Amino acid sequence: MARLIRTEKEVEGNYTEQWIVVDEDPVAQWPSGPLEIVGRPLARVDGAERARGEAVYTADLQLPGMLHVAVLRSPHAHARVTQLDLARASEAPGVRAVLTPDDLDVLTREPGYPGAAIAAVAADTYDLAAEALELADIEWEVLQPLLDPDEAVQQGSLIDEPERYDRGNVEQGFAEADVVVETEYRTQTVLHNSMETHQSVCQWEGDLLNVYTSTQYIWGVRAETAAKLGLPEDKVRVVCHYMGGGFGAKNHPGEYTFIAAELAKRTGRPVRCALTRREENLTTGNRHATIQRLKVGAKADGTLTALVGDFVMAVGWRGFKSWTAGPMKMLYHCPNVSTVEYGAKVNTGPNAAFRAPGFVEGTFGLECLLDELAAKLEIDPLELRRRNHSDSDLVDDRPYSSKNLIECYRRAEPHWEKRDEVRARSNGPWKHGIGMASQIWFGAGGPPSYAWVRVGSDGRALVVTAMQDIGTGTKTAMAQIAAEELGLPVDRVQVSIGDSARGPYAAISAGSSTTPSMGPAVRAAAHDAARQIIEIAAQRYHKEERVLSLKGGNVVSADGGSWPIEEVTGLLDDAQILGKGARGPNPTGMRVLTFGVQVAEVAVDVETGEVRVDKIVAVHDVGRVINPLGASSQVEGGVIQGLGHTFSEDRLLDPNTGAVLNQTLDAYKMPTIADVPEIVTDLIDVPDEHLTNLGSKGLGEPPIIPTSAAVANAIRDATGADVRSLPISREEMLRALAEAKEKEKTREAPTAV
Amino acid sequence: MKLLQPSSLEELDAAGPGLLLAGGTDVVPILRNKLIDVDTLVDIRAVVPRGVDGTRIGAGTTLAELEVDPQIPAALREACASAASPQLRAMGTIGGNLRQATRCWYWRMHYPCFLHGGDRCYAQTGVHREHSVFANDRTASAHPSDPAAALLALNARVRTNRRELSISELYRLPTNDNRDVVALDYDEVILDLEVPTPEASTYLKAMDRQKYAFALVGVAAARFGTDVRLGLSGVAPIPWALDSAAGLDDATPLPDNAYKIQIARALIERALEAVG
Repeated sequence: MARLIRTEKEVEGNYTEQWIVVDEDPVAQWPSGPLEIVGRPLARVDGAERARGEAVYTADLQLPGMLHVAVLRSPHAHARVTQLDLARASEAPGVRAVLTPDDLDVLTREPGYPGAAIAAVAADTYDLAAEALELADIEWEVLQPLLDPDEAVQQGSLIDEPERYDRGNVEQGFAEADVVVETEYRTQTVLHNSMETHQSVCQWEGDLLNVYTSTQYIWGVRAETAAKLGLPEDKVRVVCHYMGGGFGAKNHPGEYTFIAAELAKRTGRPVRCALTRREENLTTGNRHATIQRLKVGAKADGTLTALVGDFVMAVGWRGFKSWTAGPMKMLYHCPNVSTVEYGAKVNTGPNAAFRAPGFVEGTFGLECLLDELAAKLEIDPLELRRRNHSDSDLVDDRPYSSKNLIECYRRAEPHWEKRDEVRARSNGPWKHGIGMASQIWFGAGGPPSYAWVRVGSDGRALVVTAMQDIGTGTKTAMAQIAAEELGLPVDRVQVSIGDSARGPYAAISAGSSTTPSMGPAVRAAAHDAARQIIEIAAQRYHKEERVLSLKGGNVVSADGGSWPIEEVTGLLDDAQILGKGARGPNPTGMRVLTFGVQVAEVAVDVETGEVRVDKIVAVHDVGRVINPLGASSQVEGGVIQGLGHTFSEDRLLDPNTGAVLNQTLDAYKMPTIADVPEIVTDLIDVPDEHLTNLGSKGLGEPPIIPTSAAVANAIRDATGADVRSLPISREEMLRALAEAKEKEKTREAPTAV
Repeated sequence: MKLLQPSSLEELDAAGPGLLLAGGTDVVPILRNKLIDVDTLVDIRAVVPRGVDGTRIGAGTTLAELEVDPQIPAALREACASAASPQLRAMGTIGGNLRQATRCWYWRMHYPCFLHGGDRCYAQTGVHREHSVFANDRTASAHPSDPAAALLALNARVRTNRRELSISELYRLPTNDNRDVVALDYDEVILDLEVPTPEASTYLKAMDRQKYAFALVGVAAARFGTDVRLGLSGVAPIPWALDSAAGLDDATPLPDNAYKIQIARALIERALEAVG
């Protein structure tokens, strides 16, 4: 019988209570370690079709009669439209419909950031639409933009109320401290730059709306689009079979979806609204810049006594404060912590979630601060972290469901111990060093999420669930889980995803949650199907069910005997075995988190400020690993994206107008393969015994979190220079080196009398 | 837009004013972004020589061809190899490279700046970390060409359909009357380059990532006997010649780009050491 329970769901630190329906008999976890298929490396099940260009992304979709949209966007960071007339534009060749702010509320006459959408044109081709926009008669009253986040906070221009957090008593903590370090860190605004830009194709079939979209959350787009259009949710069908990257920026439908839906309605034609690279980099989100004023107190033995953080975030015209104080609150066993976070409302593009929002930035600040403290205390940085390890969560006062951070440190140690050897490589202007940083993040996933499994008489299985694979390889992981449970070779399992009209509800692919949310549901569904196969086999071969299991494509009896699964299912003819499964609840009263540590080896040219990263060792604890090959690929992607954030990516604003100066990929410098160091992935791979039937947590975000701090700490180890601002450009590196030299001089100079 | 495809120098002369097209790696984005108003494109691929013959380089030779040619001095080979990406080097010609437009974001975003004929440089009071530290009073834009710095150090000569001139004469600082950085007439086409062979030469480049970035600072050095010539990219609106590192003392950096001088000093020292 289905059981209705009230449970707690946590997404990236936010808890919500919700009802879920759970199955009566939860499936026991598999034993730890690699199994037949789960825990063993598998190339992506859809790798070949992606590589051959056969996979149809939203950007590839061509529907008969489809129109294309160009959007008129504000060239000003802050302005008012005093006149808007699209009469000439609407008469231009190929134009089928136009939209103004009078037609749709995602269009505005009062843009608060460069790129804000004002009007839209649908035409036979994109070029015709863009040419028509040049005929728009528009006049602006240009207003002074507010760009400086500190100034915005002073003026009270805030996105929402400042968020304060206190535990213990920091004054007392500082009074107990032998050493206090106080520093300011800054991180820059970076852009997601997914390969596939944000886009939707909308098509009405009667009163049913088909939305083909590049999204991380099929069901969220369905719900938000239905709400916006006043439709029942089942009147909106959302499709995303392949997805060209999101990194947090594609959790919602976005204005382009509503523009396409409205223009499709007005024209009776399918309509594509696809953003250009420039629009992508103006309007679809970013990792907002931060200013972090931090202070730490510690005893001579390294015990932390107080942590204080004042965080100012340049959120943009809309958006949310990322959880920049998170690592300070959560990473160490410090009894006295006080943080305040301000979200500055400034005239820049709205932020969006970006792979571990806040924790990447906050870890840079906190973990650099810890190393500056270690230097002052003359304690080994790894030892300092061990001494302040937390055995339970102090924020919610809960035990961890599982935590293997000490084991991560142990595995990092052989790399860390090479410090002297690495430093000894220093040669001429090139100084070598090693640094490390810890990682803490969420990644529990949660209910609800569902899957169905269908086994036909040919002994092949189809997993059906309306989830999305955002490029992380989760489709492959689901095939492995189902194949393991059904005892089938993985090439006899297909996975059907990507369509809200084909399959049950599936969770968002954000917050490192796809595998921990969906995996248990898929396993439960496969288990349900496997149980039925065993029941049938028991009757056919006159065995007790308890002696039968599915393995290697066979029904295997513990007391001898083995029959191919297709021999059993072959009895069915057109009948099918149907399994269904649901994601169970998260463990009550526990904190489910992911942990890790990265060690960076760098070389710094102290004359030119060039920094070369030679190696990153990434050790993470994310519970059971389903596909080690997919997992190492996730780690490599996270580290590379982290290195871009560390060195070369920086959205530049003109300080006078707020214009974004580097919107294209020649000027906005993402890392290329030549910038990628050796990356060593080491995953603990021990199931979380309290979490679901898999014991798996998410891995999407953890690997990007500690990279920039580990690199900055390695630079300090190599050169003695404190880099405190991202990106570590040539000028920041040379500034920090000059400052270190100055400090050295003062230290050597005799004290003035 | 009209596309002309002259097949001889006579036909080229008759073609009249137009934007010259060879590899298209800079022309195409410029046209797509409507940065230059132009009605005629002149495809010069049939009239500009391509290939290397001893010290003579056809202006239609691609950077990819130059970077692997053993007849080419090291500074030019290294400059070509460090430029752009393999795809762009396979298309871009050396003649086009010498005439490429600035990477200044204000110019590329079509601000009405000095180089676009306006009355001020927006970078001077804006974001200028990638901009000039020399001759930056009218425009702070930095010349992006790596090969141009190498050719300057190598004292190359340029032959056009009108005349022969040295590489240093090819470039001019823009003035109020003429905003161009190249001293060629509108219908003048670079046909080939004569590149003297030095005893030793090199090109060193500082950039924001390992590949595919324009030079923050590029330094070319070439030694002819006891005479060493230096050419720099990324530090002035045109390729910039210096006699020695001491010349850096005359730089006039903007508030946020003095770091370039420090990098230039280190690279000059290394380049001089490399050419002996």
